Amino acid sequence: MSVTVVIGTDRGGFVLRSDERRRKWKIDGPIFKGWKLTAVTRAANGVWLAGTTSDVYGCAIHTSHDLSQWRQIDHGPSYAEGGERKLTQIWKLLAHDGECYAGVSEAGLFRSRDGGETWQPLDGLNQHRTRDAWCPGAGGLCAHAILVDPKNAKRIWCGISAVGVFRSDDGGESWHTKNDGVPVILEDKNHPDIGYCVHALAQDPDQPERIYRQDHQGVFRSNDAGDHWERIENGLPSGFGFPIVRDHRGGALFTVPLESDEYRIPIDGRLRVFRSRDAGESWTPLSEGLPSKHVYASVMRGAMDADQLDPCGIYVGTTSGDVFVSADAGDHWTVLPYRLPRIHCLTAIAEV
Amino acid sequence: MAALEVQLPSLLASMVEEGSVFSMQAETLAEAFRSISENHPKLALHLFDESGGLRRHVLCFHNDANTRWLETLDVPIRSGDSLLFMQAVSGG
Repeated sequence: MSVTVVIGTDRGGFVLRSDERRRKWKIDGPIFKGWKLTAVTRAANGVWLAGTTSDVYGCAIHTSHDLSQWRQIDHGPSYAEGGERKLTQIWKLLAHDGECYAGVSEAGLFRSRDGGETWQPLDGLNQHRTRDAWCPGAGGLCAHAILVDPKNAKRIWCGISAVGVFRSDDGGESWHTKNDGVPVILEDKNHPDIGYCVHALAQDPDQPERIYRQDHQGVFRSNDAGDHWERIENGLPSGFGFPIVRDHRGGALFTVPLESDEYRIPIDGRLRVFRSRDAGESWTPLSEGLPSKHVYASVMRGAMDADQLDPCGIYVGTTSGDVFVSADAGDHWTVLPYRLPRIHCLTAIAEV
Repeated sequence: MAALEVQLPSLLASMVEEGSVFSMQAETLAEAFRSISENHPKLALHLFDESGGLRRHVLCFHNDANTRWLETLDVPIRSGDSLLFMQAVSGG
């Protein structure tokens, strides 16, 4: 059994490897030195996919069999030449069975059915009736959250900052806004069903209609696939934050509350991860091993992940380049002896 | 056709087999840009955007001339000319 954690930073990627005890780690890298590594996933056939970008040179998708040798693909997500939309970043890569999804900015969703070699736009979303009113948030106009129902691959969710959550029930042909119960953040005169600022989504694979939402306006749960949302913040010091992660086997939820959208730093300078073992009904702070004072770095939406072991490993990367690891579902934490660039994304995979 | 030497920044060197310096044949600058798009699509992705032109922060010099300042890309290439791509760096 081994665990691999791929970390994407402002200046490249780093690969951490350990055994199932997850106590001693070996680091390799940088991969994509000089490039911003923004998204990583592994397809069902074992091929890794990575999204890189540069403020100067734009973005691309790459594939690898070993996380060492990478090949930039020729036919990645793209907008029409001569059009107004520009592809600026791959925000999320998600593999589901034989399909891969890419959420990008300017906001759009693309799908590959050949292991990431070619990508097609999901125009039911990309050309949605509300599209002209989509307005970028602080992170830009980005499609960053993707879920696929593990029991029904035709049901897909996509979260777009400052726009909201959309769901398709027909394999990505048509999309409907799903934000009922969440306070609007940027109301649109003509389209009252957009203007919602989702930050991240998580899902219960055993009850796929149960999804969790870290939103700009708080933490929410839906028991009906996003038709309605209810606030779940009992025990949280703040509803504001970016990532929300679910333990694959144990079912616990994890989030990292920050002090309001104005400040966006850990509350009282303490880095604390909060865990819920009852589907968000209540939250408990986890702090053993985490720095208790003078931490003013935050955790970006893609920079926390859980591996697939039981108890799960939880991995948190900060904007100041620290990596915190827990091998016991958050009870105890260790900071790894690396100081990386600003961490954008973190993907943990355990395998036999 | 004239031989043109193309120089790339190190971040883009892996996009072509030859590395950061390679040669190509073209009669004009416009043809050189077209040839890069057709023959080196991995590189072209990072030089040109959806407008079909150079990305905003990519600079290109034909010998000593900034191509962005040229009125036309129908500029003849002479053997031994160079085409230098670099990132536009301003501030710190």
